[in-house]
Amino acid sequence: MPSRQRARSTRLLVATLVSISLVVITVDYRSGPTGPLEAFGRLSLAVMSPFQKGVSKITNPVGDFFSGLAHLPTVEADNARLSSELDATQSQIIKATTDQGRLATLEELLGIKAALAPDTVGAVVIGSSVSNFEWTVTIDKGSSAGVAVGAPVVASPGTEAPPGFTGGLVGHVVRTTPYASDVQLIIDPDSLVAGRLFTSGETGLIQGQGDKDMQMKLVAASAPVRLDDLVSTVAFQAGDLQSRYPPGIVIGKVSHILQDAGSPDKYVQVRPTVDFSSLEFVLVVVHQAVTP
Amino acid sequence: MRRAIPFAVAIFTALLLQTAVFPKVTLAGAKPELMYMVVIIIAMLDGPSVGAVIGFSGGMAQDFLQNAPKGVTALTLTLLGYTVGLARTYIVTPSPLLPMMLVGLGTFAGLLFYGVVSALIGQLSTGWLYLFRVAFFSGIYNGLLTPVFYPLLKRISEGDRSRSLFGR
Repeated sequence: MPSRQRARSTRLLVATLVSISLVVITVDYRSGPTGPLEAFGRLSLAVMSPFQKGVSKITNPVGDFFSGLAHLPTVEADNARLSSELDATQSQIIKATTDQGRLATLEELLGIKAALAPDTVGAVVIGSSVSNFEWTVTIDKGSSAGVAVGAPVVASPGTEAPPGFTGGLVGHVVRTTPYASDVQLIIDPDSLVAGRLFTSGETGLIQGQGDKDMQMKLVAASAPVRLDDLVSTVAFQAGDLQSRYPPGIVIGKVSHILQDAGSPDKYVQVRPTVDFSSLEFVLVVVHQAVTP
Repeated sequence: MRRAIPFAVAIFTALLLQTAVFPKVTLAGAKPELMYMVVIIIAMLDGPSVGAVIGFSGGMAQDFLQNAPKGVTALTLTLLGYTVGLARTYIVTPSPLLPMMLVGLGTFAGLLFYGVVSALIGQLSTGWLYLFRVAFFSGIYNGLLTPVFYPLLKRISEGDRSRSLFGR
């Protein structure tokens, strides 16, 4: 019976493939992010990224058109606001350039080297996560530009940042190849960021919730929390554990507060300042080697 | 297998479109799942064994582009390819809507299976409500995209067969 024989060989084939999948799941689960399978991950990223770069160069305007349609009502108001802001910024730039010149002279005089200050590399977003269950982006800069696993990634925030604060937090690098990297966004459910409320100084742990607002945990019920309060990164050190992000990067704004009577914690939701659906340019913080 | 190269190109193209084009064009917040669609269509056209092999290869390729957990997509798509390939032999309706229905339902069921397996190993961090919503809308999205991709995959699937028939 050739057809029965074929059915049997097909079942054998499926059983083999399923077994291989199960072995891969087990090996990957036990070895974690540093396992031997991660090398294949980097390889596939290295193969895909040049093509993603090419495609995104063509499709970014198309995608912008579609996301522009969704945001159409606000575009006109944005236009008016932006042109008035542009005027203000231009006068600021003139002042800043003068100040910068003076600062450079002064720094030179004092012999201060900016060696310890974090350095940044600009990068273009060339792709997003392949699945619906992960919130990552691929950027066009990798280890050849100094990008390392764990490096913080920021974008310019959509809202005004108070003095002493920098752009909106995007996430951190989770995988690098020489010419591309994967960045885990702070809205990914696996992402945890230590945050501090701007007005009260209360700290908490911010966990991503996918396409919903992030959740800030471990905020004491007695802590004063206000709507629209700004949340920024905070530096901490607990034993060997050190904060991944430099302090003072804006994460988001408090969008929702729920007080459960019996709970010792407040339920605080934080809306990111960065619009992750139309993220195009980011800055990767590259820590310069400390020169003695 | 002489069709390995066209199939590899189809898998690669699906991954490229999935990561570089469709994240910006979502349906109710859900991206399509192009690899699921490719596997289902090829399984429909070529039967269970080719469906399983393409499911495994495409699933592995997709798994290695993700952070975690590797192997789950491969497992899901191997079984999906095999099941759809088997189901095809029992469905006789010549309705042109059949591919759309099969792709939509297959994607929905496949994503739920993926979610359940992820949850079993403690890796479903998004919650069940999100899983159902994404499975539902990705299924619809995939179904709507089927008329665009079905003819292309049909040419890959049949092109070589007709050539071998005429001995070229």
